[in-house]
Amino acid sequence: MFLGLDVGGTFTDGVAVSAGKIISTVKTPTTHNNLLECILRAIDKVVLDTGNKNFERIALSTTIVTNALVEDKIDKVGLCIMPGPGMNIKDALPKAPYIVSGYIDHRGHEVARPKEEEVMAACRHFSSCDIFAISGKFAVRNSSYESMIADWIREKVKPSHISLGARVSGSLNFLRRTNSAYYNGAVWRHFNQFATAVEDALLSRGICGPVYVLKADGGTLPLAVAREFPVEAIFTGPAASVLGIMSMHPTRGPAVSLDIGGTTTDIALWQKGTPIFAEQGAKVAGYATSVRAFRLKSIGIGGDSFVRWEKNALKVGPVRYGPAMAVGGSKPTITDAMIAIGLIEFGDKQLAINAMKELALEGQTPYEVANMALDEAVTCIYQAVMSLLAEQEAEPVYRVEDIVQGRRINIEQILGVGGGAIGLIPLVAKKMGLSYHLPDHGMVANAIGAAVARPTLDLTLRADTVEGYYTVAELDIKSRLPKSRFTLEDASLLAEQHLAELAKVNGIFLGETELIQAEEFNVIRGFNTVGKIITCRLQVKPGVLLPSKEVF
Amino acid sequence: MANQKLGLVFFPAFDWAISPAHPEREERLLYTRDQIVEEGLLDMPCIREYKPQIAQYKDLERVHIGVPDLSSLITNAHLVSAGGAIAAADAVMRREVDRTFALVRPPGHHAMRVVHGTRGFCTINIEAIMVEYLRKTYGIGKVAIVDTDVHHGDGTQDVFYHDPNTLFISFHQDGRTLYPGTGFTNEMGSPNALGTTLNIPLPPGTTDAGLHEVLDHLILPVLNDFKPDIIINSAGQDNHYSDPLANMAITAQGYARLADKLKADIAVLEGGYSIENALPYVNVGIILAMAGMDYSKVIEPDIATCPVQSSAVTRSITAIIKERQNMWATKEKLQQEAIAQAGQFWQRERSIYYDDAGIDERQKEVVRLCPNCSGYVTIETEAHGMFGYKSAYIATIPNYACPTCQKAAYDAAYKAKKQGKQQLYFVQNKMEDRLEIM
Ligand SMILES: [Zn+2]
Ligand SMILES: [Zn+2]
Repeated sequence: MFLGLDVGGTFTDGVAVSAGKIISTVKTPTTHNNLLECILRAIDKVVLDTGNKNFERIALSTTIVTNALVEDKIDKVGLCIMPGPGMNIKDALPKAPYIVSGYIDHRGHEVARPKEEEVMAACRHFSSCDIFAISGKFAVRNSSYESMIADWIREKVKPSHISLGARVSGSLNFLRRTNSAYYNGAVWRHFNQFATAVEDALLSRGICGPVYVLKADGGTLPLAVAREFPVEAIFTGPAASVLGIMSMHPTRGPAVSLDIGGTTTDIALWQKGTPIFAEQGAKVAGYATSVRAFRLKSIGIGGDSFVRWEKNALKVGPVRYGPAMAVGGSKPTITDAMIAIGLIEFGDKQLAINAMKELALEGQTPYEVANMALDEAVTCIYQAVMSLLAEQEAEPVYRVEDIVQGRRINIEQILGVGGGAIGLIPLVAKKMGLSYHLPDHGMVANAIGAAVARPTLDLTLRADTVEGYYTVAELDIKSRLPKSRFTLEDASLLAEQHLAELAKVNGIFLGETELIQAEEFNVIRGFNTVGKIITCRLQVKPGVLLPSKEVF
Repeated sequence: MANQKLGLVFFPAFDWAISPAHPEREERLLYTRDQIVEEGLLDMPCIREYKPQIAQYKDLERVHIGVPDLSSLITNAHLVSAGGAIAAADAVMRREVDRTFALVRPPGHHAMRVVHGTRGFCTINIEAIMVEYLRKTYGIGKVAIVDTDVHHGDGTQDVFYHDPNTLFISFHQDGRTLYPGTGFTNEMGSPNALGTTLNIPLPPGTTDAGLHEVLDHLILPVLNDFKPDIIINSAGQDNHYSDPLANMAITAQGYARLADKLKADIAVLEGGYSIENALPYVNVGIILAMAGMDYSKVIEPDIATCPVQSSAVTRSITAIIKERQNMWATKEKLQQEAIAQAGQFWQRERSIYYDDAGIDERQKEVVRLCPNCSGYVTIETEAHGMFGYKSAYIATIPNYACPTCQKAAYDAAYKAKKQGKQQLYFVQNKMEDRLEIM
């Protein structure tokens, strides 16, 4: 039995899934000042419902990291960077770094060794810090200098934690890795306290099962791994919903999913049954990071969106003043409009009609104004879908063939989940001229997603046959190539082996893998090919667990 | 942090090469891509990345006449590369950004008006195509193109040689010592456009110091004088001290300061073949400079190997600056003399070698020195190569041609066709924006 929990902005949802069926669902208000409280309340209810205390897996999607950042419950981090030559990165970071000399070039060559006395000076500079983050340019091509600096710091000040850029992400982008390493360090203590509290509470209740935390890319991390990389646990809510949809309605064709909640609508794009990833990592507190995420767009339209007149135009959202008037709220909302028209049955219909009467202009019926409000909401959602599609199509590509073929996604279906879906999705579908599907249990899609999200991992293997080495930054590996004629095929096989190793270390079932990037370039000296540079990035395919025992 | 916005069209064409070991091959922008991505440049709020478009044949035919046709001479990569330059132009003209840099390949500045094949790695001239696109789409009048590639931009010079509204400035390693062997100071434009071609051949071994002398005392004052509506930079990067194809000694800092001073509206990548040691640094320097960001920390690891400028080189640079300043100051007089000497028609005969394709072309070009417009042009071309023999007669009607020249161009084409000496007959009618096959 899988247990899934989603700690949302308003509600905390829980589900228990057994043999592919949902056997218990819970919805309880989120207790923002003490997240553990609502998490345990949800778990207790599921245990009560199912009479089961042994779970194959307990997976959490929580706002703990996001909240820590928003509420400024973050630690001071001693940020040491090795930028080498290039852009002046100093002012682009969330915190003033200490710059250390020494650098690796784009081929992974060690050009200039870092100086120990500078690192000692950095330790003095950050004398009030117990947590450090270290990031070097091109460290993903050769992480030895990052490790060297970490060793010096560890020896000198014995900090509680050190985040290394190349371990947080194996992809190129020094700026993003540095930001990720910094935030990873900043939320490390807070997340670890939370993780300990969760483990202790489960233990004291006699509830058994390995605990996982959802990532923004829809994968899950064992809690022990998440303790090292807590920044990965940011923005997991929308990812959970996307995974939930995947488990409930395995669609093959291009589609768009809309998770319509009280305040927002989260939009995701789908192709061949999988959600599309953003090419770039997510932003944290306005700073670009390397945290992988789905391509999502969130707009301020939901069931509780406030409806009002502004300069002779009917406006909807993004403001929200509380629930619909039909259930005792004080201001007219989109939900009131849906109830007044009879799209959904909920609360007191007469109160909803009154809300629309309040809005109606002279000579306008409550139905007319309700329709106008829904039209406005649908138009906003429609435009957001179109702009997300445009963004996806505008993603740069670097091969002639990709430009010539184009990237158009012709959506065939709309998948709708969340509280506002039943009323709004048919209207959006009508406007877009598409079919739609509202899966059962759409109200707790996030929790289902958390319950069944398959663990994912990815790594980048880069082989330089001229140098005779390959590297895997995520595993801190730099090794001789196993054979002289090393091909892209060899590289992907080797990557597969290392991914299996990484999965094992992280307590993750490998399952199906896919190559998400494969590049091969000749290195030429004079007019002779002297070798190749091969890059392949391999991931455990994101997806949902089958009813069978796919985990362990 | 930044005071201006840069649009970047980055298109490395990772699936296109002239041939596997050719300098213009797949990985030419690989290390540049790695450096740009690793720096995090594309995440900077003042930099916006654009995707190239696919250029239309109509865009190409405003500039080129392919013999027998363009479609048999080019690949999709060329359409995307030209489309990259066009996307860069659109982004600037729509004021979405202040300036743009099209880091695209294959390059274009050796491609001339008539195209029989590939020369100097170029088949179509992407800057020229962009310039004519700007004129047609946005009504741009005066254009300045500054070619900073180490090789003479002979193709761009050829396309605009008779156009008084396009100022073409090229500095390059002296043609006596480097491909394509042109770009001497006496190439100044045909009489109606005399002075709007400005060649600055530099001695091998010129460093940042020499280059910036030329920039400060010649190029910038001339630009200031010409007052173009738009400045285009053919941003070749093979002047770098580590470039394998030439013998100059410019650094990433030298290039970045050049971009900073030039303040081109649109830069389009040309050459640059030190793909591992120079391009990543030079390109990052130029991007930072164009975005108004701090580029002082962009320094090549092997900067110590950059030679210093000899006093002989300094002397000859000083001399050429002086000589070109004089030319620019007296160009009206020179123009009157040239017109008086040529009479009603100016003509020249040339042979053009296509090194990448092994083609020998002979051209006879005639321009009417019209008092009312820049004058129609006729070209007789014949080429020998692996394909055998190809020939064509072309009459070109320029933008803003007077009625007499328009009619005369057609008459010339009909007359040539009647005589039947060539295989193909074209009228390139820029006013009506079409290429006619007679
Ligand atoms: Zn060149
Ligand atoms: Zn005329």
